[in-house]
Amino acid sequence: MGGAATAGAAIVVEGLGRRFGSFDAVREVSFGVGRGEIFGYLGANGAGKSTTIRILCGLLAPTAGRARVAGIDVRADPEGVKRRIGYMSQKFSLYPDLTVEENLDFFGGAYGLSGKALAQRIDALVAEVGLEAQRRVQTRSLPGGWQQRAALAGALLHDPEILFLDEPTAGVDPASRREFLALVRRRVRRGVTVFLTTHYMDEAEYCGRVGLMVDGRLATLGTPAELKARHVPGAFFAVRAGRRADLLAMLPGLDGVLAANPYGAGFRVRVDPARLSVEGLAARCRGVDAGAEIEPAGATLDDVFLQVVAGGRA
Amino acid sequence: MGTDREGDRRPGRAGRFLRRTAALAGKESLHVMRDPRTLYLALGMPVVLLVIFGFGVSFDMDDVPLAVVDQDHSAASRALAGALGGGGEFEVVARPADAGEVDRLFRSREASAAVVLPAGMQAAWDRGERVRVQVLLDGSDGTSASNVLGTAVGAIQAESSRRLAERTGGGAPPLAARVRLLFNPALRSAVFFVPGLIAYILYIVGVLLTALTVARENERGNLEQLFATPVGRVEVLLGKLLPYLAIGIVQALLVLAFGMVVFDVPLRGSVAVLGAGTVLFLVGALGQGLFISAITGSQQVATQAGALSSLLPGMLLSGFVIPVETMPQILQWISAIFPARYFVAILRGVMLKGNGLDVLWPNFVALGVFSVVAMTIATAKFKRGVG
Repeated sequence: MGGAATAGAAIVVEGLGRRFGSFDAVREVSFGVGRGEIFGYLGANGAGKSTTIRILCGLLAPTAGRARVAGIDVRADPEGVKRRIGYMSQKFSLYPDLTVEENLDFFGGAYGLSGKALAQRIDALVAEVGLEAQRRVQTRSLPGGWQQRAALAGALLHDPEILFLDEPTAGVDPASRREFLALVRRRVRRGVTVFLTTHYMDEAEYCGRVGLMVDGRLATLGTPAELKARHVPGAFFAVRAGRRADLLAMLPGLDGVLAANPYGAGFRVRVDPARLSVEGLAARCRGVDAGAEIEPAGATLDDVFLQVVAGGRA
Repeated sequence: MGTDREGDRRPGRAGRFLRRTAALAGKESLHVMRDPRTLYLALGMPVVLLVIFGFGVSFDMDDVPLAVVDQDHSAASRALAGALGGGGEFEVVARPADAGEVDRLFRSREASAAVVLPAGMQAAWDRGERVRVQVLLDGSDGTSASNVLGTAVGAIQAESSRRLAERTGGGAPPLAARVRLLFNPALRSAVFFVPGLIAYILYIVGVLLTALTVARENERGNLEQLFATPVGRVEVLLGKLLPYLAIGIVQALLVLAFGMVVFDVPLRGSVAVLGAGTVLFLVGALGQGLFISAITGSQQVATQAGALSSLLPGMLLSGFVIPVETMPQILQWISAIFPARYFVAILRGVMLKGNGLDVLWPNFVALGVFSVVAMTIATAKFKRGVG
């Protein structure tokens, strides 16, 4: 392979399901991921994200539906899938008592690489993730963000076409998260497809498309902009006020207010601009609290998430 | 991309298999070398156990503290007391006047055997009547008591025969048993213990180390990562098996050398037969450990299950401490499940008797069956544990 998005999807999922006993962890999930795309898979804990990713990596057999990864059916040939993909699990899964180099050496061997070819790949990857100085450090003594970079190098050893990252930056500080995502995007520019699960909505904003899982089902799917327009239409305003409780009691009854949720020191209000202008909103707020400040604010995937999850439960 | 991979020669299926297995075995060796606990368990424990069992635990009958209650104070009573104390087995530590004193001596552990020589002993002897001598033993340690009993009764009978011979005019007693112990003439404990100890140590380490390491990898998520690579179950199992097999062989040699040099334990049979038995036994023990780790998942449970299923059977059901023949029938059946029993039989057979396969083959068959069954179940369970 090579270059950017070539014809044909990297991942095709049709009616996928996985049942554990009487519990459906994943139900009737269908989507496609194009080559060279970053696909974000969101959802609460237990929504079925990890189950889906484990099926796609050939670690778990589906009980319903089909999935093709890199053109290979995961049920028919899970081993074929494993050779073409890289997988980074939720837990830090390099060996803590081995050095970065020893870990890469080992996983290279696990992919059947050895000798000069493996040594060259390790050199290149260690440089790519910026761990040259830490090559001979046991991974247990690396900070979290560096551990994740080492794990990424491990998942890239065999030059996979598709990279599956299961909450790769959970528990990592924001600066390290940013660095990690930059590394991932560099790979994507070289044609690699990325399937990423995450809790962080700002991380999801980087994704080309996002799927949102609720209770084992794919509740919604689209680009971040599409999802915002679809689930949380209207205009957002951030309201800061001293008499927050009074405003929160008044706003939901106001014509044109679609939602009002506490947020930080104040709250966020979503309005239908056709029915309520910013001036109208400001006037009504100041009627209750003369010191209220209103600022326009953009929709976030957090808003989408809350709306869809609440909607899914209603 | 991908061209650098196609560039080097792609090895064949067998080559990739060996490469992956070698990577796994190499990684496992690094774990062992980095982990002081594993190293201690592997190399420290055998030495500690050898010292404890070799020097501390002994069934040898030397200087058993004896109380002599001489109520006769005659030549006859003194002669019998002298015969008991003179052989090296007993050491006369007290001469209480009253037999009631013996109870206190036993409780305070000053004495563990006593002999009561009744008043009128000399007179009865002179009249040609039978003399009854009472032997009291501390029965709280059953094994010692039965050994002491045998020694005491033997000494008294020897004295009896001697006196009988005197009275009948120097003629020999009509029957005399001449006992000769084969294979361990001096009945030294170490000769008996060291082979059992080899089995015990290898069993514990084989089961416990593997159970622990696999459970650890499972708990940390390493196994899942591993199964996301093209590595297969058989390779993972082999990668575990080979390093621990090597450790086990080193341990066996260590204990064997220690036993031969320090305790003068013989090795009369073929080293090859001994080696074959050791490898077969280790494969079974490792299979048992892998099976335990595959069904338990957490390190804590795996450690407990591993210890329980190796410590107890290895010590109590293997013939190491308690002879299998003296166990109740039901325990004998249970002991037949665990491989330690067959390995102890092989070790003692080869080391002490110089037996070969012609005699020991049933034990080899039993070990082989256990190994195959254990590894098969472990392999089957392994996938489920992860999938």
